[in-house]
Order: sequence, then structure tokens, then C-alpha cells
Amino acid sequence: MTVYSFYIFDRHAECIYKRRWLPRPTSVAGKSQIPGAVGSSGQTVRAGDDDAKLVFGTVFSLRNMVRKLGGEEDNFVSYATSQYKLHYYETPTNIKFVMLTDLKSPSMRIALQQIYINLFVEYVVKNPLSPVEHPGGVGVNNELFEESLEQFVTRVLA
Amino acid sequence: MCVSTKLHPRSALAVFSLIIINKAGGLIYQREFQAGLRKLSTNDYLVLAGTFHGVHAITRSITPKLPLQNTASPVASSPGTSAPTTSGFSYPNPGVPVSGLEYLETDKFRLTCFQTLTGTKFLLFTDPMTGSVETIVNKIYELYADYVMKNPFYQLEMPVRCEAFDRHLGAWLRGRT
Amino acid sequence: MAAPRHSAMLSISNASTPQSTSSDKTQVQQPQSPAGTSGLRVPSNRKTIYDRHLNRSRNAELSRASFAYLFGEMVSYAQRRVTGIQDLEKRLNEQGYPLGLRLLDLLFYRATSTSSSALSSSSTSSSPPNRPLRILTLLHLIHGPLWRLLFQRSADALEHSVSPDTPNEYMITDNEPLVNTYISVPREMSMLNCAAFVAGIIEGVCDGCGFEAKVSAHNQPTEMWPSRTVFLVRFGDSVMEREKVLERAGVK
Repeated sequence: MTVYSFYIFDRHAECIYKRRWLPRPTSVAGKSQIPGAVGSSGQTVRAGDDDAKLVFGTVFSLRNMVRKLGGEEDNFVSYATSQYKLHYYETPTNIKFVMLTDLKSPSMRIALQQIYINLFVEYVVKNPLSPVEHPGGVGVNNELFEESLEQFVTRVLA
Repeated sequence: MCVSTKLHPRSALAVFSLIIINKAGGLIYQREFQAGLRKLSTNDYLVLAGTFHGVHAITRSITPKLPLQNTASPVASSPGTSAPTTSGFSYPNPGVPVSGLEYLETDKFRLTCFQTLTGTKFLLFTDPMTGSVETIVNKIYELYADYVMKNPFYQLEMPVRCEAFDRHLGAWLRGRT
Repeated sequence: MAAPRHSAMLSISNASTPQSTSSDKTQVQQPQSPAGTSGLRVPSNRKTIYDRHLNRSRNAELSRASFAYLFGEMVSYAQRRVTGIQDLEKRLNEQGYPLGLRLLDLLFYRATSTSSSALSSSSTSSSPPNRPLRILTLLHLIHGPLWRLLFQRSADALEHSVSPDTPNEYMITDNEPLVNTYISVPREMSMLNCAAFVAGIIEGVCDGCGFEAKVSAHNQPTEMWPSRTVFLVRFGDSVMEREKVLERAGVK
């Protein structure tokens, strides 16, 4: 299973955290790779800003559509195209967690919930130095959260 | 799939409703087969079709692009492994054409979207446990090709009002359940 | 399913263009040229459709979808510049009429060659088919052999009008007309029945046998057969008079 990217959106529709993982180069093209060019643990890259906006627009529209058809208590869980799968989890405080993975991955709902409870609440919400709101990602981009997210994705989910 | 069909004989076959969207994003058909989803007004369905049409295009455009690492030989890279590459990146499933949303899952239903080569979209809402949705969608496409496209009174891209299509669709779905 | 109808149409359409083929035969001398200027393609074995036995395509199968699209275009074409439903039905009827006239010959030809030895190429050995003289014989010909030639099955019912005022009216019922398989008529045109085309074919067959008649198609849906169609055959007065004379004379 491969995780491609991960986003957190706050209740103001702002992207407060995003991260992209590049898969191991062997999975892309297996021939004549330059060894050591990329660490096998993956590499983080700043995704384009537009990307986050498009992702938000998509999940926002789909969430509203699902609520309209399934009722207020229905939840949008995931969708898949021929290329990737998008997982969605929304907290009661209206923070949205989005993860893009490959098609082989099972439901990531529990994983996203764990990221929320064990990482976000622990290292961001409970951090006395972190502000209540996170404009521009302030407070989310602390070392503890990023480190443990990295570990969670590369060790637990891989 | 087979196991779940046996375990939930009734819910496993639930097909809630069908929506057909033309290539411009307009709603041309909407029909409910079984209760299970909330009923919307005609206007809401029109909005839903238009929204979905746009979202479908976006889900296609946000497909992750994986940078190719073999900078040493970017042109003469292996031709078989990564067909749809353009300068420097490949898609996760290189052999498969990039598509928009194909299915969506929620707690209460599953939405399967089938897009024809000409751009018409079939949206089928089923119970999450329903097996072999693909068979159902293919059959619907077949009935559409027969009773809508072969009908001399049907105008392309316009709302589908074909009594024979309604009749055969209803009869086939009833025959399944 | 629509096999015989197409094969019939094929042979007819070719029978109507003898000139183009005769000019084509000169082209056959150079088989290398890819049929450029003529329009007709000559098979590589140089056998045109005239060299083939007429019964060759009797059981050949043709695409039902192709027929559906072709007929759909015929309806669309007839629909242009029409003033109303009756006008549209008249046009469809007119499209079917010549087909019925020409179909008759093939029908008779095939009716004999199947009854006797099908292998003998000349049909002269078997008794030549008789043109129907009485109304009932004609109607049976339509109900059975004609329907089988067109649709590979007999029609579903044949009735005589019960009303004493209209002894010249007969009804042939088809529960599921092939031509209407894929057609859904819009609600505002609910009186229309595209099987008017088939009615035209029947009219052509009747006229070809010397029975002046008007044939129309009417919707008579039932729960089980939503596209059930009744073809109303109304014979002319001269036919009815002749019928009486023939009856007195004991002609069958």
C-alpha cells in the first residue's frame, strides 16, 4: 500500500497542513535507477497550493452531495478513480482529514481517526504553544506532529 | 462478493436510483427504484448533476503524478512500463487510462459512476453491500443503447423520455430482485 | 431475428439496379482496381449477386441493430416536413408499399422451392405457385409465409370484422412488431404507430395480387404486449364484388 498525500483542512476551509510522499522509485520504473538518489523511506515535497484547493473543493462538494442524499447522519467515506483512492474523515469540530492512497489500500477511516486522536489532538491541540486557530498552518507544523505522522505513515501503514 | 450476497439476500440487491448525465453536465434521466435515499426536488437533482460533472473532472485532474527518478536517461526509458508519461512523471497505474471518480462510498450507499467513451455518465446508487454492480451498470448501458439511442424520436443530449427504456429497465431490475 | 427481411431487401435493392451492375461487369476485367469509380464492389471470385442462388441468403442472418438504426433514420427522414401524424404514417406507408410489391415475387419463388426439392436450381420442375384468388387465401399468405419471410414467425392473429356494416375489413395482429422494438413514441404523438411501414408492405402485397386494399396500423396495447399492433385491411368494393362472383362459381 502506498500513501501519496495527506491534507488537513480547518473549519474555515483553509488547508492547514499538507504533505506528499513519493513512492519508492522502484515502483515507478524498475530500470536503471540511480541508487541512493531517494531514500527508501520516502521524501516529502510541498504540494502545489492549487492542489489543496482542488482537493478541498472536491471533498466539500461530495460531502454535501452525500448529506443531501443520505441524510445528515450519513458520512462520505472514500472514492476511487482508476488511479487512486481518496479517504475522508471529518471530526465533530469540522476539521477534515484527507488522504490519497493507491487502489490496493483498505478503508483508511480508522487510520485517519487515529491520526486525529493520537497525533493531532495530542501534539497540536494539547500543545500550549499552539494557537487555537492555525492560519497558514501555524501550530500544526511542529516537530512532534510531523515526526510522528511520518512514522505512522511509513511504519504503521506501509 | 458472493458471500455477502448470501448473507444479505434482501439488502444485497438494493438498487436505489439511477441518474444519467449528458456530456455537457446536464441531467437527462433520473429514476428511483427503491426507497433508501432522501428524495430531492427536480431542481436539486439538476444541481447535483452539474456539481458532480464538475467534481468528476477535478477528481481526474488531481490524480497524483509520480516524478520519474531516472534522470540519466529520460527519453530512452523502458517503453513498456510507463506508457502515459510525459516529461518526467508517471501516473500510479501507468497501464490504465486516467479516469475521474469511479465509485464513492458512504455509510449508507455506494455510488458507481460509469462514463461512456462519448462522455455520458451513468450514476447508480446502490446499497453498500450490493454485489456485482458492474453487471447492473453494463446492462443499463445496453438498455440505453437499445431503447434510447435506437429510438428515432429521441433527440441527442435531451432528457430521456422513452417509455420502452423505462419499461425494460424496471422489468430487468425487478427480475433480479 | 430480422434475417429474412434483410435478405429480401438485399435482393430487391439489387434487382432494381441492373444498369449499374452491367456497367460494372466491364470493370471486372481488372480485378486489381479497388472498385473506384463504379460504386458496386465485385467480390474477388467475380461472382456478383446475380450469380448466386436466390435462396442462398434465405437463412442468412443480418444485424438487428443495423436494421434498427436504418429504420430509425427512415422514420426521422419521413418526419421531416410532415404536417401531422397521419401525414407521417402516410409517408411510412409509402415507403413500405414498393417493398411489398416486389417482395411478392420472392415470396412465391421461395414458397415453391421449399415445398419441392430445394436443391434443383430450376423452379420449373415443381408446380408453379398460384396467385391467391380469394381473400382468405391471400390473408393466410400474409399471415403465414409473408410474416415468416419478414420476421421469421407467423403473425399472432387473423380476424374478420364482426360488424355487418364492414364486411370488407380484416385484422391481422402482431403482438410485438419487430419494427417497433426500440421505438418509444412521444406522448403527444400517442396515436402514431411506426408499423405503418409494415402496413405499406401488406398493401403492396395485396395490390400485387390484384386485391385493391387500404391497410393501416393501429396501437392496441395490452398489459402483456405493450406494443401490440393491429393491421386493419380494408378491401375495395371491386374486390368484394369479385369475391361474391368467385364464391358463386365455386373458385377456391
